[in-house]
Amino acid sequence: MGIEVDGAPEQGIPEEADRVLRQIEGRRKKYRRNLLISFAVLITLLVTAMIVLKLDFSFMMKWLPFILAGSGYTFLVSVLAITLACILAVVGALGRMSSNPVFNAVATSYVSLIRGTPLLVQVYMWYLALPQIGKALEELGLHGVQAWLTLPAVPAGILALGVCYGAYMTETVRAGIQSIKIGQTEAAMALGMTRGQTMKRVIFPQALRVIIPPVSNEFIAMIKDSSLVSLMGVWELSYRAVKIGRRHFQSLEMLIMVALIYWLMCILLQFVQERIETHMARGDRRV
Amino acid sequence: MSVNISEKKGPVVQAKGIHKIFGNMNHVLRGLDLDVGKGETVVILGASGSGKSTLLRCINFLEAPTAGSIEVDGTLIRADAPANEREAKALEIRRKTGMCFQSFNLFPHMTVLENIIEGPRTVLKQNRKEAEEYADELLDWVGLTDKRGEYPSCLSGGQQQRVAIARSLAMKPKVMLFDEPTSALDPELVGEVVEVMERLAADGMTIIAVTHELHFARDVADRVMIMDGGNWVEEGTPEKIFNNPEQERTKRFLAHIL
Ligand SMILES: Nc1ncnc2c1ncn2[C@@H]1O[C@H](COP(=O)(O)OP(=O)(O)OP(=O)(O)O)[C@@H](O)[C@H]1O
Ligand SMILES: [Mg+2]
Repeated sequence: MGIEVDGAPEQGIPEEADRVLRQIEGRRKKYRRNLLISFAVLITLLVTAMIVLKLDFSFMMKWLPFILAGSGYTFLVSVLAITLACILAVVGALGRMSSNPVFNAVATSYVSLIRGTPLLVQVYMWYLALPQIGKALEELGLHGVQAWLTLPAVPAGILALGVCYGAYMTETVRAGIQSIKIGQTEAAMALGMTRGQTMKRVIFPQALRVIIPPVSNEFIAMIKDSSLVSLMGVWELSYRAVKIGRRHFQSLEMLIMVALIYWLMCILLQFVQERIETHMARGDRRV
Repeated sequence: MSVNISEKKGPVVQAKGIHKIFGNMNHVLRGLDLDVGKGETVVILGASGSGKSTLLRCINFLEAPTAGSIEVDGTLIRADAPANEREAKALEIRRKTGMCFQSFNLFPHMTVLENIIEGPRTVLKQNRKEAEEYADELLDWVGLTDKRGEYPSCLSGGQQQRVAIARSLAMKPKVMLFDEPTSALDPELVGEVVEVMERLAADGMTIIAVTHELHFARDVADRVMIMDGGNWVEEGTPEKIFNNPEQERTKRFLAHIL
């Protein structure tokens, strides 16, 4: 632990060990250097390809602000939908593990139904079919329901994505909670904690560690699926890119640009994920 | 420091006619009685699968007995009580009962100190200062003051078990249950845990321990009880059980472990 590789070897460490440690450090440095070179080569290739393809950079720059403005929608829809999904996932997971038959049945059906139908169909359901249900209910004498159930595009999109991802994440959360050893629950119960306290103080914080990576995965997937709201005529990121690209017959530029913007958003997210994971790992054995 | 604050006279734990039948008609406990007086140390011995752990877990209702009644320090639960009443009383009993597990079960996401104050803070709603003061006393008592801010994963097994004991004691229990607290430990770490248990007994804590540490059973226990197939076979002072056992099954069991 306290061995200084670059300085003089500490007392009591044989020369051979010192040599081995230097070798290990050398290999690590070499690996880091080669990794950087590889990334640099890949980026150079990418840029060269863009130049060879004679991409119209000035055209890209001209439309960049307009396209970027659409990313506001993408961001808004994704963040609100993932928030909704997280809440649904926790409630759903508790339901799936509940000994209350009603709660359990509702949660199980929710997961089964949503996972068993395409997201595209669900989006249209929220946007197009829900008003019809409202109309039918209105005719049954429930006044004002139709107005309530006729959703504008953005809320419909948020609900569709949130409810859909909530179902997938329910299973992630459940698996995370169930991965915590029964001994933890027993130790908490033995202290006199209620079931709720045990879940909140002991099980959930530990499960979170297991859950964060797959949930980040879902979030990344959702950012991209948020382009589905364009189906309802919302001028979000990808919709703008496609429109402009077609109009000027420069789809390649627009698509590359929008792809890079999505990519950047996801890299940012991954960075946040890594920070959270490092924080979560604080109870681990430090090597 | 004295860790036992029970003032009541008479038995602290009183179990009557405990049966436990697991799902597939697996009849594990077959009508056990157990009375443990204040300050008494009882060691339960028995072959693997005889039901020792199950009995301990019935006492603090981690496992609900199928029949019988449990009374801990004046809180009585009958097996056939309505579920919500049983649940409420079980919480009460668990708050008066400390339990140490074979595998320690410390909370890995909390430091040593946080582990110890978790019960007092969450269950007893103590303020942080009060909880920490007592936790520091306990840490000193188990000899781990310098590990206060470490995470459990940085501790040896023996240290972890001592923290687990401190965590239980932080609730000021009337009785401590030990389920093979040393059997997951390397031989050289057993001593430090047994030593803490000895001091606990000497301080007047009421203890029910399942352990294969014969030295503890011989020198510390007031009473040794032998279990087989969910029944008591024999009980008595360590002297009597180890030197003059009456029952054939006791003799066979002792021959096996000695
Ligand atoms: N949750 C459970 N569900 C079903 N059967 C169980 C359960 N817990 C224990 N048993 C059964 O009860 C019997 C007694 O188990 P128990 O753990 O009480 O024995 P033990 O005396 O503590 O043994 P050991 O010395 O191995 O710890 C075993 O046959 C076991 O299979
Ligand atoms: Mg056992």
